[in-house]
Amino acid sequence: MSAVEFRDASVVRGGRLIWREANVTIEPGSINVVLGPNGAGKSTLLETVLGLVPLSDGSVRVFNEPPARGNARVGYLPQSRRDSDLRVTAREYVGLGFDGTRFGWGRDAASKTKAVRDALALAGATVFADRPLYALSGGQRQRVALAHASVFHPALLLLDEPLAALDLAAQGEIVDLINLFRDTTGAAVVVVAHDLNPLAPIVDQVLWIARRQVRSGPLDDVVNEAVLSELYGHAIEIVVTPRGRRVIVGLEEEFAHPHPHPHPHSPTGAHAHAGATSGHVDEETHAHFAEYYEGDA
Amino acid sequence: MSLWFLLSLAFVQHAFYAVSAVAVAAGAVGYFVVLRRQAFAAHAIGHVGFAGAAGAVLLGLAPVIGLLGFCLVAGVLIGLGGATLSDRDAVVGVTLTAALGLGVLFISLYSGYADATYSILFGQILGVTWGDVTLVASVSLVVVAALSLIYRPLLFVSVDPSSAQARGLSERVLSLIFLTLLALTTVVAIQIVGVLLVFSLLVAPAAAAEQLTNRPLRALALSCAIALVSSWLGLFLAVWWGGPVSFWITALASSTYVVARSRDAWRTRQRATRVA
Repeated sequence: MSAVEFRDASVVRGGRLIWREANVTIEPGSINVVLGPNGAGKSTLLETVLGLVPLSDGSVRVFNEPPARGNARVGYLPQSRRDSDLRVTAREYVGLGFDGTRFGWGRDAASKTKAVRDALALAGATVFADRPLYALSGGQRQRVALAHASVFHPALLLLDEPLAALDLAAQGEIVDLINLFRDTTGAAVVVVAHDLNPLAPIVDQVLWIARRQVRSGPLDDVVNEAVLSELYGHAIEIVVTPRGRRVIVGLEEEFAHPHPHPHPHSPTGAHAHAGATSGHVDEETHAHFAEYYEGDA
Repeated sequence: MSLWFLLSLAFVQHAFYAVSAVAVAAGAVGYFVVLRRQAFAAHAIGHVGFAGAAGAVLLGLAPVIGLLGFCLVAGVLIGLGGATLSDRDAVVGVTLTAALGLGVLFISLYSGYADATYSILFGQILGVTWGDVTLVASVSLVVVAALSLIYRPLLFVSVDPSSAQARGLSERVLSLIFLTLLALTTVVAIQIVGVLLVFSLLVAPAAAAEQLTNRPLRALALSCAIALVSSWLGLFLAVWWGGPVSFWITALASSTYVVARSRDAWRTRQRATRVA
């Protein structure tokens, strides 16, 4: 049974078509990255799985059931949170993930304490578990949020921009954590991201949204200059580092379009590279992004 | 007159019971007011209540009826209109000014001596009857009981609205319930400290408690305790030494906040020097 299955799914929000006829399957135990430019409907995709946004057409099944808010098998880490100003300890916050939806006086203190302790430990957040959220760093908060989203053992974890606003080291730690979480729990993970580079080492399937269409495939189908340039609406180059890692970089305008007086070494535009899955680290390639991973591919 | 004689007087005892009931409810609700950053809503509901009380006086009704009616309507309006934080501020502001305008009108239309409205503004704790005590105590009991039933979901939705929504909680419904509880608490708190000083029980103790602990249930209990002690001491000082009760309660509760803030700042500096 698939974790999520979209069949000819379309979404209209506020009278505007977001994307249409999506046919995507998320397998249990897989790590899926959702890519796309701002406003393409990446978060909307998660929201349809959560039952927060209805489809206008087609169907989506979550563990073979229609999506519904409050599904105990689905964990969610939203992009916008207010943890930077919260005078609440990490442990209390993770505890709310366990029984925060329960009304009334009933308590299940023993199993809650254990679940919270385990989730914090898996997220590597035990050391700062008793500090208030406002006093934590961005990376630490993201660990706590991950523990919060997974403390009730969901079989599907939806993470909206978990790497946003983190420095390179913290991004790497969160990526390792997502991988560890998948390996220990066997849950399916869907990660919305702006940048594929840090997630490339762990991804099983990439979902990309461009021109109101959702497509999916293995990493190699996407790491392709034509696909990526279309995806971002901006010229993209793939470079191979001396250690053999492929890194996606955005080209500056002057290199993205044919120059009136082409310099012998200038790239002549993204489409000239279409189909190529690798290039060279060109001295004249002005990368928008730094090389993300120094490690081996 | 001995202190024991003063404390044995019926009106002092009534005041003691009323103030205790209100302090517990206000301390508990106040924690969520501070956590949810809804101090402005609490402020507005009190002032809207003032307009309601003035209207009731004009119609020859008991002020508390107008107070209750207007506060509840204001709570519901703010709850329905302010889904997002930015909306909320505007909705609260408009509700507040509209109600205050009505209040001015009602007072100008009323030809008698506006004694009742004055006591709404500044509280009249030493004038509470046994009937008032029963009313205040039952309302506080209802508020505390209801709050304890929705405690966890309200905390969840206050701390992390997006994931609480995804987990099946309705932010709108919880916000409406909370604002209703806030309106009820405001009505009873106004009986004690008046509209202008309602913050002394509703915000100051909770704000101080939030500085002292990062664990919600502890902060909530501490907030109730600070509200209780400020109220008891305030009442005691007023009876023993003189001065308005509401002044003393306000002074004590606000000082607690100042002390808590200073302690927090001091500890931060200590930590900074240790690191350096």
